[in-house]
Amino acid sequence: MTLQELYTLIGGNYAHAQQIMRMDKMIDKYIRKLKNSGVEIQLAEAGEAMDAQKLFESAHAMKGVCANLGLDDLADRAETITEEFRPGNSRKLSDEEVKEKLAEISSMFQKTLAGIEQYENG
Amino acid sequence: MIPTDGVEEVTMIRSKQIKKPQNVLVVDDQELNRYILGMILEDDYEVLYAENGEEALKIIRQNPDSLSVILLDLMMPVMDGFTVLDILRNDEQLKSIPVIVLTAEKSAELKALQMGAADFITKPFDMHEVILARVSRIIELSEGRQLISAAEHDRLTMLYSRNFFFEYANRIHQYHPELHMDAIVMNIEQFHSINALNGREFGDNVLRILGNEIRAFLAETDGIASRIEADRFDIFCIHQDDYQELLDRFQNKVNEFSRKANIRLRMGVKPWREGVEPILLFDQARAACSLVRGNYLTHLMIYDEDMQMREILNQRLLNDLGRAIEERQFKVFYQPKYNIQCDPPKLSSAEALIRWRHPELGMISPGDFIPLFESNGQISVVDNYVWEEAARQIAEWREKYGVTIPVSVNLSRVDMFDPDLEDRINALVEKNKLDRKSLKLEVTESAYTDNGEKLIEVIDHLRKAGFEIEMDDFGSGYSSLNMLSAMPIDVLKMDMKFVRNIEHNEKDFRLVKLILDIARYLKVPVVAEGVETETQMELLQNAGCDLVQGYYFSRPVPPEDFEKFIDVRNKK
Repeated sequence: MTLQELYTLIGGNYAHAQQIMRMDKMIDKYIRKLKNSGVEIQLAEAGEAMDAQKLFESAHAMKGVCANLGLDDLADRAETITEEFRPGNSRKLSDEEVKEKLAEISSMFQKTLAGIEQYENG
Repeated sequence: MIPTDGVEEVTMIRSKQIKKPQNVLVVDDQELNRYILGMILEDDYEVLYAENGEEALKIIRQNPDSLSVILLDLMMPVMDGFTVLDILRNDEQLKSIPVIVLTAEKSAELKALQMGAADFITKPFDMHEVILARVSRIIELSEGRQLISAAEHDRLTMLYSRNFFFEYANRIHQYHPELHMDAIVMNIEQFHSINALNGREFGDNVLRILGNEIRAFLAETDGIASRIEADRFDIFCIHQDDYQELLDRFQNKVNEFSRKANIRLRMGVKPWREGVEPILLFDQARAACSLVRGNYLTHLMIYDEDMQMREILNQRLLNDLGRAIEERQFKVFYQPKYNIQCDPPKLSSAEALIRWRHPELGMISPGDFIPLFESNGQISVVDNYVWEEAARQIAEWREKYGVTIPVSVNLSRVDMFDPDLEDRINALVEKNKLDRKSLKLEVTESAYTDNGEKLIEVIDHLRKAGFEIEMDDFGSGYSSLNMLSAMPIDVLKMDMKFVRNIEHNEKDFRLVKLILDIARYLKVPVVAEGVETETQMELLQNAGCDLVQGYYFSRPVPPEDFEKFIDVRNKK
């Protein structure tokens, strides 16, 4: 599987990743690191506790990492949670709706990790 | 260089060596972000990395002078970017390091800029060229600001440097005419000696202490200050009622630092005057300050109208000098010297003394223009005029009366060190076919203190060429027996202050007798100057003084009046 095929599989924006990292070698290196980045676990833990501050921080971290890897959909969804819990912002979603969105993010993240695993295995 | 419209184009010398190494600190908790930024920057910069604010501060404190810019993420664990910004902003040493924040949030951008960030870079980092351009621009701006700041301030005292000071003073003058700002110039007496005696570091500390106190003073009032050069401080401040108090304040501060070094400040003040530009105010304050140079009683001088008139007159005299020479406005007067060891006393010689008959200002006293021309180095023009005139006069009298009346002329310090001196005098002597001994050369004793060795060399040369040297004003300054024995002179002229009181003051008379004894021992005849009364003349005569000069015989007179003394001499 090529990187481009991986991005097609996981719904990422390969062109964007290339624009940011300029070299396939680097995209390869850092996409492999996503599973150990801890961003998804932190977000999930914050969601279970419904801890607003932690939700904001972990969603913000996920947004940054995903945006730089060209994982635009994941980044956009993380941004929704970031803005929902940004200190000073008024909440727009109910806790239930937040949990739904977190579940979507988790599912999409798992799908991405599965794709990466496939890529790693050739 | 290509001249353009009469203005030479200046080619700037450029060297890569003057560029300092540029270090960039990237602070982001996400490894990926650090990597991307590193990748973008590492071709152009040395890149350092930190994972959070705390780690960043540690690196910043280790490299406060070598960091060109910090790229700072705002959302980080342990310590966030806002906290870092806040710490930097409140740290005098660190606040000048520019920070570019890394953020994707519009609201954070504004807050960060308000907290002192220089710029922001939005995430994700997809516009590498834009990032490079921003980093480069911020470094350039910051280095430019640092250069300006370095040029703006004197590092030692942290006062403004000269050019910035006058620029800011002009702004105050131009845009705030309602502020009545006085100009103060302050110097340290004999600062070079203080440095020489106590070392440069001590001198620097004195300057630093003064700088601190001036800044403390300006914090209480309103104004600006500069260390213009070496030990000269210029202060442009709101009018103060008591400048003596201000000088005492600075003096006390310096005394607290060192009592043993005996550091003495002097101050000149030019009070505000409507419409007068700072540069002129400071010129006049400097003139006032220089008037108290070396004065051990007064250390403060306020520039007033009399001084202004004096300056204007001085400028006028300097301007008119050339024309005065051309139009022969200078008149040489002659004062006779009498040999009092014969009876009756006999005309021996004369001293040529200059007068200036100015067409508009009338008769100007030599006391008004000689020190002025001496200080401006123009005195040799005047001296030359006198020498020419005196040489011509000796020849004229010789022709008319058949006798040579030797005339002594003054040699100023500038003349003494003129390599063409001997040629200049020789030319006059030859032109008028004079015996060299008939044009006597008077050298003031104070010239010895400037450069004794050189003076002795010049005098030696002139004497070997056949000229006679008279030491003028002996006893008026710092005479020393050492000088007297070292200087090869032919005549000693005793200063008039010794003679003035010999009738009434036994001590003075004893001193005169002592000088006469010394001169006798050195086999040098003595001329007593300033003899005004018969008693003085008789006392000197009895004490063995050879020659006298003074109002007792005659004040300096024009050559036609002098001729009657020659007539009398010839008749006898």
